[in-house]
Amino acid sequence: MAISPILLITFLLFLLTPITTPSNDDILSELIHLRSKSQLGLIHLKDPLLQRILTIPSPKPFSSLIFFDAKQLHSKPDNSLPSIKYEFSLLSSSFIKNNPENNTQVFFFIMEYQVSPSSFALFEVKSLPHIRLVGVKNESMKMDASGYSMGAESMKEFLEMHVNVNVGKINTPPVIPKKMMMVIGAGFLIWSPFLVKKIVLSDTLLHNKYVWMVGSVFVYFFSVAGTMHTIIRKAPLFLFDRYEPGKLIIFYQGSGMQLGAEGFAIGFLYTIVGLLLALMTHVLVYMKNRGTQNLMMAFGLFISFWAVQKVVSLDNWKTGYGIHAYWPSRWI
Amino acid sequence: MAASSPSSDTVVVTPSSLRQAFGNVFSLFILILIGVLAFSIRLFSVIKYESVIHEFDPYFNYRVTQFLTKNGIYDFWNWFDDRTWYPLGRVIGGTVYPGLTLTAGTLWWILNSLNIPLSVETVCVFTAPTFSAFAAWATYLLTKEVKGAGAGLTAAALLALVPSYISRSVAGSYDNEAVAIFALIFTFYLYIKTLNTGSLFYATLNALSYFYMVCSWGGYTFIINLIPMHALLCIVTGRYSPRLYIAYAPLVILGTLLAALVPVVGFNAVMTSEHFASFLVFLILNVVGLVYYIKGMLTPKMFKVAVTLVVSAGLIVCCALVAVLIALVASSPTKGWSGRSLSLLDPTYASKYIPIIASVSEHQPPTWPSYFMDINVLAFLVPAGIIACFLPLTDASSFVILYLVTSVYFSGVMVRLMLVLAPAACIMSGIALSSAFGVFTRSIKFASIGKEVDARDTGNGVTQNDVVKPDRNEEPPKEKASRKKKKEKENVAKAPIATKKNERRLLMLPMETSVVAILLLILLGAFYVVHCVWAAAEAYSAPSIVLTSHSHDGLHVFDDFREAYAWLSHNTDVDDKVASWWDYGYQTTAMANRTVIVDNNTWNNTHIATVGTAMSSPEKAAWEIFNSLDVKYVLVVFGGLVGYPSDDINKFLWMVRIGGGVFPHIKEPDYLRDGQYRIDNMATPTMLNCLMYKLSYYRFVETDGKGFDRVRRTEIGKKHFKLTHFEEVFTTHHWMVRIYKLKPPKNRMRGKTKKSKSKPTSKRSATRKKNPWQ
Repeated sequence: MAISPILLITFLLFLLTPITTPSNDDILSELIHLRSKSQLGLIHLKDPLLQRILTIPSPKPFSSLIFFDAKQLHSKPDNSLPSIKYEFSLLSSSFIKNNPENNTQVFFFIMEYQVSPSSFALFEVKSLPHIRLVGVKNESMKMDASGYSMGAESMKEFLEMHVNVNVGKINTPPVIPKKMMMVIGAGFLIWSPFLVKKIVLSDTLLHNKYVWMVGSVFVYFFSVAGTMHTIIRKAPLFLFDRYEPGKLIIFYQGSGMQLGAEGFAIGFLYTIVGLLLALMTHVLVYMKNRGTQNLMMAFGLFISFWAVQKVVSLDNWKTGYGIHAYWPSRWI
Repeated sequence: MAASSPSSDTVVVTPSSLRQAFGNVFSLFILILIGVLAFSIRLFSVIKYESVIHEFDPYFNYRVTQFLTKNGIYDFWNWFDDRTWYPLGRVIGGTVYPGLTLTAGTLWWILNSLNIPLSVETVCVFTAPTFSAFAAWATYLLTKEVKGAGAGLTAAALLALVPSYISRSVAGSYDNEAVAIFALIFTFYLYIKTLNTGSLFYATLNALSYFYMVCSWGGYTFIINLIPMHALLCIVTGRYSPRLYIAYAPLVILGTLLAALVPVVGFNAVMTSEHFASFLVFLILNVVGLVYYIKGMLTPKMFKVAVTLVVSAGLIVCCALVAVLIALVASSPTKGWSGRSLSLLDPTYASKYIPIIASVSEHQPPTWPSYFMDINVLAFLVPAGIIACFLPLTDASSFVILYLVTSVYFSGVMVRLMLVLAPAACIMSGIALSSAFGVFTRSIKFASIGKEVDARDTGNGVTQNDVVKPDRNEEPPKEKASRKKKKEKENVAKAPIATKKNERRLLMLPMETSVVAILLLILLGAFYVVHCVWAAAEAYSAPSIVLTSHSHDGLHVFDDFREAYAWLSHNTDVDDKVASWWDYGYQTTAMANRTVIVDNNTWNNTHIATVGTAMSSPEKAAWEIFNSLDVKYVLVVFGGLVGYPSDDINKFLWMVRIGGGVFPHIKEPDYLRDGQYRIDNMATPTMLNCLMYKLSYYRFVETDGKGFDRVRRTEIGKKHFKLTHFEEVFTTHHWMVRIYKLKPPKNRMRGKTKKSKSKPTSKRSATRKKNPWQ
C-alpha cells in the first residue's frame, strides 16, 4: 500500500520532462472518447497515453485503476487472469452504467505486457495478477490479493475505500440472455402438455430404470472423484514438474489438495470394483457357458484386486497414514 | 426370512419353519453382538484417555444437561444464561436443539430411578456410543425392509464400524449428531415401513420420529426434502399408490405441526424455503390422488372427458400456486434459502459470498482420500449396491438409491456431510455384500448338485426347491404385496419360471472362482475392520482437552486445560468475569463455572470483535476495554513451549481481522511484515506490543534462555519486557494456558502518583475520562 520512493522519483522525472503539458480538459475528453469506443468502458493504456496522464499536474481530476494483463499468461490456470479480467470489466461497466452523468472520477485501464513492457517496469510489476490504483495525487497503490479474490464485489470495495466514488450495484449479466430465456420459456410452455401426456402415459425416458441406474452411478462417480473439490478450488487437471518441465504431475502428495485427473482416476477405481461385482452377481449368473463365466470372473476379480490394492497404496502414499492392525501383545 | 415352501406338504413345512425360527434367533443374537461391537469400538477414547467430555461444543451440551437434571424441564425451557456473553447473556431454552439434552437427561433420570447412581457426566459420555448401537439396529430394520434380513445384518455390522460415524460418536463426543444419525435412519425406516405396509400406525410413528429428529439436529431439513423428492419421483415414474399417500401426507401435516413446537424451529417450519418442497409435493400428491380416485369412479370414456376438465383445472391451480411460491421465494434476497442450504445447491455460492462458512474446515469439499478415510472399502461396494437396488426396483429400493445419490452429492460439497452419507453407503454396501455372498455361496453349495443335474438333465423335486429358495430369499418380502399390476405381472412371470426350473437352477457361477471371490471379499471385509479399528483408536479418539504425545522417552500427557480451569474455579470469585478468545468460552463456563465474554455460539459479532480488538491492542488500551467489560482475568492459550499448534498466536490474525471488521483502527497490515505473519525480530512494532504477544510470551525467555517458539520455529522478537496493566497469576505445567489478572486501577494510580507527586489527580475521574467504553 505504501508509495514506493522509486516510483515517486520516476513520477517527478516525468513531471520535469519538457513534454507539452496537455490541459486537463483535453485529456479528459480524450479518455471519455476512448472509453466510449469500448463496450465495457475499458481503455487500453499504452506508454504514450500513460506518460501524458502522469504529467497532469496533481491533483488530477480523476483516478486510474489499471489492470496489468499479459496474453501469454492467459492459458495458465493458476493465475486465473481471464476471470479476474472479466470481473474487472464488470466493475468498469457497472460503474459507467450506474453513474451515467458523474463518471469521470475513475477511469479503468488495461495494460498489455507485450505492448508496453516499460510501463510494467515503471510500476514494478513483477507478477500477475496485478491491479493498481493511481490516485489524484499520483500516489499509487497495489490491490491486495484479497481485493480481487472475491471478484468484482471486492474490487468495488477497494475502489470505494480509496477513491471517493460510489460504484453502485455490480451488474452481472445473466447466464442465459433474456431473449433466450423467453424462447426457452415459450418452448417449455408449448411442450408441457405433451410432457404431461407422456408422464400420464408413463412413456418418458424417466420411466426407463436403466437411465436412472446410469445416472446414479455417474453421480456417485462424480462425487467420490472429488470433482466438487476440483470445481470449487479450481484445481487444474494436472501440473508440470518444476524440475523436469516435460514431466506431468498427476498425483499430488498431501491430503488437503487433489488434481482433477487424479480425482477422476481414483473415482474410476472406486466405481469399477462395484460395477464388476454387480456384473458377477447379476449378469454373469445368467450365462450358460462355464468357460466364459470362469474367464470373466477371473478377469473381474483380478481387476478388482488390483484397483483396491492401488487405491490403498496411493492413499498411504498421499496421506502418509500408517494404517495397521492391533495384535494382542500377550494372551492372558 | 425364507418363505415357507409353496407345497402344502406338512413334512416340508415343519423343518422350514424351524429353520426360520432358528434364523430369527440367530439374527437376534447377531444384532446384539453388533450392538456390543458398535458400543465397544467407541470406547477407545475412554480406555486411552479417560471418561471425559470432548472438545468444545459438547461442553456446552453437558452444561445444559446438568442444568436440566438439576432444575427440571420447565426451568430449562425458560433458562436465561447470565454466565456467558457478559453483559448480554443468552436465552438458552429458545436457541438450542433440545433433543440431545432431553435424551441424556431422560437416560440419567431413568437410571437414577432404577437406583443406578451414575453421574450426569458419565451418562453424557456414553450417550453417543449407546445411540450408535441403536443406529446400527435401525439400519438393520431399514435395510431389511429394502432387501431382506441378510442385507440388513450386513449393513448393520458395517454401520457399527464405519469411521465417518465413529468420528462423531466416540465416548465423550456429546454432540447433536450422536443422536441425530439414529433419528435420521429410524425416520427413514418408518417411512419405508409405512410405504410397504400402508399402515397409519407406522405413519404416526414416522411423524413422531421426525419430531425427534427436528429436536436433535438442524440436519432435519435433509429429511423434509428427501422424502418429498422420493414421493415426487414415485408420482413422476407412475408409482403412485394409496400407500404412498399414507406414508407422505401424515408426515407433512403432523411432522410440520410437531416441528413448529420446537422453539428453535418455530415458524420456520412453515416460513422458510427449506420446507416449501414438502408442501408443494403434498399439493401435487393430493391432485394426483384425486385423479386416481376419479379414474376409479368413472368409466374410461367418462374419465377421458373428466380428465380434460379436472386435470387441467388442477394443473392451473397448481401452476398458480407454484408461481406464488416462486414469487415469494424470489422476493427474499437469499431466495429464501439459508446460506448453508444454498451452498449445497450451488457449491460455489459459499466461496463467493459467505467467507465465514467457507473458512470453516468442516465446510470444505473433500478430496478422494477423505472418502477412503471415512467410508473406506464401502466406496468400492456402493456401485454394486446401487445396481442391486435396481434389480428389481421397488418403492423402498428407489428410496435408498435416492438417499445415497443425494447424500453422496452433498458430501462432495461439504466434508461434514460425509456423516449423512455413511449410513447410505453402509446400506448399499450391505446389500451388495449380501447379494454377492448369496450368489457365491449358492454356487459353492450347489455346485455338485448342479453338475449332477446337468449330467442327468432331469429335475429332482427336493433339489429344485432347495435351489430355488435362495433366489426367493433375495426378493424383498413386501415387494410381492406392492401393487395389483405387479402381482399380475409376477404371476405371469412365475409360470414360465416354474416350467423352466432347470434354467433357474443354473443361476450359479463356477465353484473355483466363487471360492476365490469369497476369499477376496472376506479379505476386503477384514481390511475394513482393521481400518475402522485403527481409525477409532488413532484418529478419532483424542478428546482435545487432554493431549498426549509419544516421544523417545515415553508417553507425555498434557492436561493443562483442566489444570487451568480448575485453578480458575478454586481461586477466583464466582462472579468474576474471564475473557478469552471465543474457542474456550464453552469450556470455561462448563468446567470453571465462570462468566465469559464470548463463547463458541458466535451469535454476536460485535462482541467477539471487541475481544479481538482488545487482544490486538497495546496493553493500556486492552486494559481499558477489558475493564469496561468488568473482566477480572484474561486467559490465553500458548503452545510455543510444547509445540501445540492450535494456540492463540496462530489464531491471532483472525482476532485482528474480526476486530478490524468492526473497529477500523485495527488494521491487519500493521501486524504483517511484507504480508508475512511473524513474531521474530522482524515482526512489526504493533505486533510486538499487542496484548496477545505480551500475554503469550511474558517471561518466555526464562524457559530456555533464548525464547525459542517451537510452533513458529523461531526465536521471538521481543524477549524481555514487563507488564504494566496485567499481572500473571497462573501458568500451567506446560505453559499451555496462562491466566493474567487485570491490575486494579488503584495500583496503577499509585505508581503514577509516585512518579509525578507534584500533580495529584483524582483517581476515579482519571480512569473514567480515559475509558472510551462508558
